[in-house]
Amino acid sequence: MALTTAPDPTRRGPGTDRAHATRRGPGLRHSEGLAGYVFLSPWLIGLMGVTAVPMLLSLYLSFTNYDILTPFSEVRWVGLANYERMFTSDPSYWHAVRVTVTFALIAVPLKLAAALGVALLLNRAWRGVGLFRGLFYLPSLLGGSVALAIVWVNMFNRDGAFNSLLSLVGIQGKPWVNDPDWALETLMVLAIWQFGAPMVIFLAGLKQVPTELYEAASVDGAGRFRQFRNVTLPMLSPVIFFNLVLETINGFQGFTAAFVLSNGTGGPVDSTLMYTLNLYITGFTDLEMGYASAMAWVFLLAIAVITAIFFSTGRFWVHYSDGEDR
Amino acid sequence: MHPATPPTTDTPAGRHHRTPLPRRRLLRGLLAAAVAAPLMFGAAACGDDGSAADPNAPVKLSIFWWGGDARAKLTEDALALYTKKHPNVTFETTWQANQGYFDKLATLTAGGNPPDLFQIDDNYLAEYAARSTTLDLTSYQKSGKLDTSKFPESLWQYGVVDGKLAGLAAGENTQGLVYNKTLLTKHNLPEPTTGMTWEEHIAWAEQVTAKTKVPGTQDPSADYKAFWVWLRQQGKDLYKGSELGFTVEDVTRWFDLWKGARDRRATPTADVIHEGNSSDVTKQLVVTGKSATSWVWANQMPDLKKNTKDELGVVAYPGDPSAQWARASMYWSVFKGSKNKDVAVDVINFLTNDQEAVKLLGTDRGLPSNLDLRRVVSDDTTDPAMKQSIAVEAELTQKFGTSPQVPIKGHSKVKSELIKAAENAQYGRATPAAAAAQFVEACKAAIA
Repeated sequence: MALTTAPDPTRRGPGTDRAHATRRGPGLRHSEGLAGYVFLSPWLIGLMGVTAVPMLLSLYLSFTNYDILTPFSEVRWVGLANYERMFTSDPSYWHAVRVTVTFALIAVPLKLAAALGVALLLNRAWRGVGLFRGLFYLPSLLGGSVALAIVWVNMFNRDGAFNSLLSLVGIQGKPWVNDPDWALETLMVLAIWQFGAPMVIFLAGLKQVPTELYEAASVDGAGRFRQFRNVTLPMLSPVIFFNLVLETINGFQGFTAAFVLSNGTGGPVDSTLMYTLNLYITGFTDLEMGYASAMAWVFLLAIAVITAIFFSTGRFWVHYSDGEDR
Repeated sequence: MHPATPPTTDTPAGRHHRTPLPRRRLLRGLLAAAVAAPLMFGAAACGDDGSAADPNAPVKLSIFWWGGDARAKLTEDALALYTKKHPNVTFETTWQANQGYFDKLATLTAGGNPPDLFQIDDNYLAEYAARSTTLDLTSYQKSGKLDTSKFPESLWQYGVVDGKLAGLAAGENTQGLVYNKTLLTKHNLPEPTTGMTWEEHIAWAEQVTAKTKVPGTQDPSADYKAFWVWLRQQGKDLYKGSELGFTVEDVTRWFDLWKGARDRRATPTADVIHEGNSSDVTKQLVVTGKSATSWVWANQMPDLKKNTKDELGVVAYPGDPSAQWARASMYWSVFKGSKNKDVAVDVINFLTNDQEAVKLLGTDRGLPSNLDLRRVVSDDTTDPAMKQSIAVEAELTQKFGTSPQVPIKGHSKVKSELIKAAENAQYGRATPAAAAAQFVEACKAAIA
């Protein structure tokens, strides 16, 4: 309680006063700096109160046995026990890691491929292209919505719309969302289907590729595929990189759909137990908030490491043309 | 922080809901004197507690429960009745669906802002009581401010955790096997009866499947309450003290029993069973038409009935019905740090023992805990589904065995682990023995 409200008066109070006092004085630059901070303060307070302080608090809690119900004052320091448990004696933790990595490894590349493919198709000037861009983007607008996940579950039920379609062509469908072998795949399809956001970014990137390059390539006798490989891909690589990083992080954080599909359990038989869902269950259902905090920090570090790997490999395949152009 | 409030201060709230006005005024005068003393001695040290000491000071009591619109309406009406009798007490009500309720309650508690009075069930009572979040109601019970004299003994005892009365039963229910009467009549099939053995039940279900093409029974191997009844019939229990009350062998036999049932097609396929394993009433297979029976709590009958056109019937779970007990369907608990403890306890007393309030609330939270009022309510009720559930429970009340201990800390994890293990066996991903071993292993970690 005190922690979240404390920065408020101290920051705003003296900040404004000093800015006011020094405005007439000689130190103009100094006062401008202060004024800047004053204007920033709503955001700054938000960052401190809503993000930074809770984050640091959760770092502390990850070394404790905090269980939500016990008051902070009675929380016991347990050192690295939570981290030890995670790595040595919690099979469902590693199961959740496996589920999440599988999800990200399959869904992210396919989503990017779909986004790029559709962006290429929509990067032409034909009638009604604007409408199609809008339509393809639409699923992304619904993003992590619960309603969409509910629709998805009903579509891929045993007696859902998808199986009705299959039966038209004589295929006996499966209870996709209720089958432990298929539930995660159904979630992947949902994620891939929402390729609109990266698609729009790809489209913007494609517009930036100078047409001279294509002309030059075709003069040199390059076919469409060669043009794509040797012109489009390299020119687009910064955008691909950007989308890859963003979508990977998104993929790892998938929660809503898995939560809705499994009624918050990660079922059937833990097949949709994504990392964040496992973390949520640990913290809120099993009330092991200290342990859940430790999971969150390992998760943060893991994502940071993966992103760092992307950045370090980036220089081998990401082509920034800015420098040469100018 | 909170000096013990002298017992005299809230006597009128505690005992005299229907006090006529003149007597009330007299009492008020007496109280003013009684109040003055503690104010002079103790309360000066702790100014914020002044409101609890003055019975006429306005009190805003926060109260939180899960349930649907119907429950909200009934509860709000009952609380309005309390306000009518105690104009100084008003309520800040919050309610929501069961899903997410306990997340919110935990978050409110963590934020240091829990409701004064809240609804809780046996899945979480021990979790909260073990962490001293709930007020021990024993002293109120002893002083008669919380009247349990008309309660079945075993019912209020089912709210005792580690010797403390952590919650008071807001209603009573018991396991109920609900079946689709319409379907059975249409196919000239016998209805299940209380006292059928498990073997007979499965044979009956097999026959139902064969004749109606609707699977006879939901496979309840993932259902802790069915497992629990079965265990008690084997002379075991879910918990013994702080240990598990069963072994891997018991679980294996339980899973084997249902593997046999699935093989005989007495149950639906694994994915349909999985749908029914949801705690959501609207997804129970007996109302979605995917099986002829569902394993629920008897007081859920009216709710189930709302979701189907078919006639439903209810009996006890198979086996000896004395394995079932008068279970508190849910409790009312008071937050230990509440500033309005005494008023909160009085509200509980009102909701469970005041005739008008209990009549308003009906059987929405289970059969009324107060046996005298239970009779009144069951005589009055017109809802046929409610009548049935009352009849079955009344019949079973004669046969009930002793209550088991309240499930221990870690129980919610045990429940979800049972679903996981049973489904592993149902989907054929593990043998019953392997699933049982996995379950017991996980349980030991959960309750450690």
